[in-house]
Amino acid sequence: MMLSTRAKEAIKTALAMTIAYAVSLSMGWDKPLWAGFAVAFVSLATVGQSMNKAAMRMVGTLLGMVVALTLIALFSQDRWAFISILSIYTAFCAYMMSGSRNAYFWHVSAFVCVIICMDGGANAANAFQIAMLRTQQTGLGILVYSLVAIFLWPVSSYDAFKAATGELAVTQLEYYRACLRRVSQQGGESEIQEMSARQVQQKARFDQLLAAAEIDSYAVQEHSIQWRSYQQQVAKLMKTLECWRESFAEVQSLDMHQLLPSLDNFGDELDRRLAQVADMLAGQPPESLPQPAPLRLEGAALSRLSPFERASVIVTRNRMVRLEELTRSLFEVVAVITGSGHVGEATKVPRIASSPLFLDLDRLGSIVRYLVAFWSIWLAYIYIPDLPGGSTLVIQATAIGIVVANTPQLAVSKLIVPVSGGLLFAAVLYVFVMPALSGFHSLGLLIFAATFVICYLNSEPRQVLGRLFGLALLLAVTSINNQQSYNFLAVTTTAMVYTQLFLILVITAHIPFSSHPERTVLRLVGRFFHSCEYLMETMRWDPSQPTMRLKRWRLVYHAREVATLPTKIGNWLPHLDLRFLPGTTMDQVKDLLTSLQSLAYRIQLLSEERNTKQADFLVQEFTTDFRSWRIQVQSCFEDMAATPDAMDFIKIRTLLDEKLGQLEERVREVLDKAPETLTRDQEAVNFYSLLGAFRSVSEALAHYVEKAAAINWTPWQEDRF
Amino acid sequence: MSTIPHEFAIGGVYLPPLLVASFFGVIAGVITIRLLNRYRLSKYFFYPPLVSLLLMVIYTLLIGIFVIKV
Repeated sequence: MMLSTRAKEAIKTALAMTIAYAVSLSMGWDKPLWAGFAVAFVSLATVGQSMNKAAMRMVGTLLGMVVALTLIALFSQDRWAFISILSIYTAFCAYMMSGSRNAYFWHVSAFVCVIICMDGGANAANAFQIAMLRTQQTGLGILVYSLVAIFLWPVSSYDAFKAATGELAVTQLEYYRACLRRVSQQGGESEIQEMSARQVQQKARFDQLLAAAEIDSYAVQEHSIQWRSYQQQVAKLMKTLECWRESFAEVQSLDMHQLLPSLDNFGDELDRRLAQVADMLAGQPPESLPQPAPLRLEGAALSRLSPFERASVIVTRNRMVRLEELTRSLFEVVAVITGSGHVGEATKVPRIASSPLFLDLDRLGSIVRYLVAFWSIWLAYIYIPDLPGGSTLVIQATAIGIVVANTPQLAVSKLIVPVSGGLLFAAVLYVFVMPALSGFHSLGLLIFAATFVICYLNSEPRQVLGRLFGLALLLAVTSINNQQSYNFLAVTTTAMVYTQLFLILVITAHIPFSSHPERTVLRLVGRFFHSCEYLMETMRWDPSQPTMRLKRWRLVYHAREVATLPTKIGNWLPHLDLRFLPGTTMDQVKDLLTSLQSLAYRIQLLSEERNTKQADFLVQEFTTDFRSWRIQVQSCFEDMAATPDAMDFIKIRTLLDEKLGQLEERVREVLDKAPETLTRDQEAVNFYSLLGAFRSVSEALAHYVEKAAAINWTPWQEDRF
Repeated sequence: MSTIPHEFAIGGVYLPPLLVASFFGVIAGVITIRLLNRYRLSKYFFYPPLVSLLLMVIYTLLIGIFVIKV
């Protein structure tokens, strides 16, 4: 009989759970449910993914244990200092969790620390025993699951990784082709949006599977450095393709074939490279090596254009030249990985500055919410006698509270059904079945069957909450031990723990910010424009002047806000409830987000161009004009940060067009009297790039205002329950 | 009818009257807020999240005092 993947995975988890319990009970260890928790939480689709999560759980447990024992040693005589430091540590873990690749490590570290502190109490010897027991049981659970996963129907991440890599390469090729059709005025607009979104999803899956495949596949492990290099090149290619796409609007009325005579050859060469990358990843050798692909500008045709058009063409060409460099290095890396090339410069992995500690207002908001929930429950535990659950409630406030605070899109009400279902299932087994059992044979069978049922019925990724709560509550309610006791209060107390916890989480849902999606989107849009305004403010002439450390720090902060906020807003869009927003459609909101993303790219481009070397002559001539334009745009951003609906589209469009018109006139005037050499050298190219960036920001801003004007913002600003 | 607070027995499990009152209070509160949201009346309250909690408390008290007689 052929078993389905779903049944095999359920059998593996159920078998590991049963063996973990058998070992723990036969050794006479207390709290065997901790080994069961380790099995339940590390079991994932492939060996590599499970090992990765298991390693994070183990290391997180060790760190949590060390911190807990240190806190008990230092503050066991002072309850308030103890809980203050404990809450600060867990809040730190919560902050790190949302900005790190190792989110699970920080999560485990936080709640294990609280478990040892709460279960061990102020008794150092007891705390040490608890800490050792927790580590031992976690290690047992991980070991048992790992062995089962390796020996029974092992599923390597390699196949899934290979498939994900191939899909990503093909999507990038198609995306590139659609962009090229767009720049050559042969359509392509409709597919671009959809492919861009698909590319982002596939890249996320690739990143996830790369980490797993490095663990369970030697083929990936031996080229780990090259795969990491490939990962970075793909990310850069995605960003450059997006930026390139952003420059299309300004060149769509121009004949690009006339301006860039080698456009077809250039396009074909890049197409060939990307197609060969996809082929090599699919196991075929490359047919040819990358050939030089110059992208010459036709000077005569260019000189017939207006200054702004010239600027747009130069910006688009710059992006294409960057694409040429990236596709070449991507080809080289993939050639090395697939054994068709030699290790060269492209395969080196540049170190990327990783700063999970950077300031993020949303992450700070999450830890404020978590701390309010944690302290409310702690105070209730101290001051309310016989609070149902007691210390378990404090532990759950950390374990679940951190996750809920870090995923504000997840409504607490979504947790009620999985928790109720898991509790009911566990209660039936505990009250009606377990008392009738005798010996481990029957108990083991029950553990296996119950785990199998839960895993089998909740095998889809969208059912993950049902699976996790089902297994956790099964283990918590049954509390299997060598000296088994039965008490109906175990069920009611568990029910009360979750009722109180959810109540606190619901009450704190609007602390410090409203968690309604529409209010959150408005708040994030306001922040986006506030950061845009700050970036504009910093774009004065004289970038060489030394700036204070605080100013540099603020600049980095606002630049990151502009780069990340559109994605954050995008994460909230599926949660908007349009029944409460009459006069708004999802298409309108998506258009608004696209124009916001476009504005973000263009402001980043302007910041980059602003830092390039400009000719002194041009700087002197244009200081006043650029300043006037900057102040105008800055004032628009300021108004939009305050109220997104305050802008009059026609007025803004007229103002910006007027400013651009004046600027264009001035450019003509100045270039007529400019020295001949100036219009040919690199500084002139830089100047046109900067001019193009100014224009593109104006266009994107007007486009955003047009989209925003179509939305009825009044219901967005109304309070609701 | 006796006015002494009495527990509810469901299948041999005794539930305190306040628990039963709070259960119905929460349900009544949720229905009220859904209706207020639906007819866009929530905007007239100063801070709706707090109002929703207070509505549940008020309903619990009213049901406790007048219906269940806690």
